[in-house]
Amino acid sequence: MAANKQQGSYFGLFLVGLTVLCAGFAYFDSATGKALLVLGALGVIGSLFGYMGIKSLEGMTAMKPGSGGMKLVGAAVALLGWLLTLAGIHITDSAGGRIVFALLGIAVSLVGILYILPAAFNKNALWKGESASQRSGMTAAKTTMEHSR
Amino acid sequence: MKTILRNRLLSLCILAVGLSLGTAAYAQTAAPAAETPAPVATAPLSALELKAAAAKAPTKDDLAKGDPGGTITGTISDVPVSDATSGLTLGDVANQVGQNKIGINFTWTLLCGFLVMFMQAGFAMVESGLCRVKNANHTYMMNFFVYTAGLFAYWLIGFAIQMGGAAGNSNLGGLQPLSSEYTISLFGKTWGLFGQNGMLLTGHTYDVGVMVIFLFEMVFMDTALTIVTGACAERWKFLTFAVTSVIMGALTYPLFGNWAWGAGWLSQLGSNLGLGKGYCDFAGSGVVHSVGGLTALAVCMIVGPRIGKFNRDGSSNPIIGHDISAVLIGCFILAFGWFGFNPGSTLGASANGNLRIGSVAVDTMLAGCTGTLGAMLYMWMFKGKPDASMTCNGMLAGLVAITAPSGFVNPVNSCIIGLIAGVLVCLSVSFLENVLKVDDPVGAISVHGAGGLWGVLSVGLFADGTSNYGGSWNGVTGSVTGLFYGDAGQLAAQLIGISTLIGFVFTFSFVINLVLEYFIGHRVSIETEVAGLDIPEMGQLGYPEFVFRPEPVYSGD
Repeated sequence: MAANKQQGSYFGLFLVGLTVLCAGFAYFDSATGKALLVLGALGVIGSLFGYMGIKSLEGMTAMKPGSGGMKLVGAAVALLGWLLTLAGIHITDSAGGRIVFALLGIAVSLVGILYILPAAFNKNALWKGESASQRSGMTAAKTTMEHSR
Repeated sequence: MKTILRNRLLSLCILAVGLSLGTAAYAQTAAPAAETPAPVATAPLSALELKAAAAKAPTKDDLAKGDPGGTITGTISDVPVSDATSGLTLGDVANQVGQNKIGINFTWTLLCGFLVMFMQAGFAMVESGLCRVKNANHTYMMNFFVYTAGLFAYWLIGFAIQMGGAAGNSNLGGLQPLSSEYTISLFGKTWGLFGQNGMLLTGHTYDVGVMVIFLFEMVFMDTALTIVTGACAERWKFLTFAVTSVIMGALTYPLFGNWAWGAGWLSQLGSNLGLGKGYCDFAGSGVVHSVGGLTALAVCMIVGPRIGKFNRDGSSNPIIGHDISAVLIGCFILAFGWFGFNPGSTLGASANGNLRIGSVAVDTMLAGCTGTLGAMLYMWMFKGKPDASMTCNGMLAGLVAITAPSGFVNPVNSCIIGLIAGVLVCLSVSFLENVLKVDDPVGAISVHGAGGLWGVLSVGLFADGTSNYGGSWNGVTGSVTGLFYGDAGQLAAQLIGISTLIGFVFTFSFVINLVLEYFIGHRVSIETEVAGLDIPEMGQLGYPEFVFRPEPVYSGD
């Protein structure tokens, strides 16, 4: 689909909605502020659904559906590492103990980011299957990329 | 009697000048109290002394002859008089001293901010140069528009979240309008979560000092945003880039920025728990570069590798950029801009400790130098060629790494930090590409993510305890001191910061962009990607008179 007028319009709506939303936050104490907040939120949400409505027009992308559950697990493990670090701050009073907990937390987060998430994304990666050019019926000579293969 | 009067006048003079200078405190230091206006002595300063000084001042006729030596320009005649009937008073002189201090700091901070703003041009050249010619316009345009998108979002709400509770900076006049931090009480301590003043810069935040800090912090934020554009270049839908940049400028960056710089909980680790001086990040290895690098990693995973980057067996193909000259020049522009980034982070040149700007600048320079050496020698020794793009990345990694410790370390340590960063970036690029299968066309994740985290860590190791920005940092008396100089608590604070970056910032960015993937989709279509993004996404080629020719197959060792 590439860039088009609809995209531009919905992005415009998103910006206007966000501006009104923030104005609502800034003047939240007044009735006008609350009204602006609701109006702005509607604008932002409207733009999101607008984006979703035209998403299917994009056409085939060089991505295959990955493992959605594993992606969330990876993110959750990354977050868990941080929570572990925070817990460590209050479990021990010594600097050494807090360093150990922080290192443990970092290690857990890294497992989520460097092990679980890449595995989730690469499980069905397009490059593992047939080439993209074959899928889209394009000739290799058209692109510099294909020549480098 | 006359002597007593004279002594009292002298005491008043010293008191007024001293108070007007105030206690020096660094921007990110939560100073105990804001500077109060200097008490103004209303009585004329020993009229005789003033008259004597005025009599010695050059006349209009003297000035009309020209002042090639600069010896008679700028005298007592240039001090503005508040009340013409009473003439020049001690109050006038003291106020002028105070205003001079603030004026110097405003000028310094603004000029450094302008330098950082110019770094956008460097980023644009580096990123576009490392992309293929068919995506040049798209990549340049992303780097151009990210400035606007980020600025707009930051003005709307981002600045308020980050700096809305950051009052107390005497370098910039106190910044008292920014005095509302949302806090929670946990385990008997109060922790800052986000600021609340300054949305749209209205109300009390329509203030000269606030404007200065807004500009300076804004250009930092924009630097973080532009890191993502490089990592996701050549396949990122412009619409999704625009939306996610707005969100990052409004939420992701400001939140961590508040925790580190805006009186948030990370900066309070020292005052609340006794961990060194709290999380210390002088100019933003963590706040700017790690946030940008980790967000880039999150988006890069979601958007996936470029077509043709990986083969079926998982091996990778090099995809060569189109303009190495742009990369090298862009890198130099960035190195130049970094002199605004790091020395500018004193937020002043006139107050206790701020004369360390020279040391900060030299540390910056040296780390960039050794980063370059580290990367170039690594590539030359282990890959056979002094690779230009990796050498550039080495310089940038050295600069990124020294950003956090530049205010706290000595030149030798800055060389070590830069050298390690230069080697680290080479290893990180290889790890991302060959192990994780993450396609980062410009190496942004390694330069800013890995380099930034290393920089944050290095504060906890190398800070030598000699810096003294007004005697305290983050509200804790003393100088920032790392593990190698005796303070393990500082290392703990830095590690907690790193854990927050990896565990919270990455996850936050990842979830936001996963939601955007659901609503908008990050990736362009196969047809668009193969044809190049310039025409489908931007409607115009970057170089319309260029003829596309097949690239030679790289057959290096």
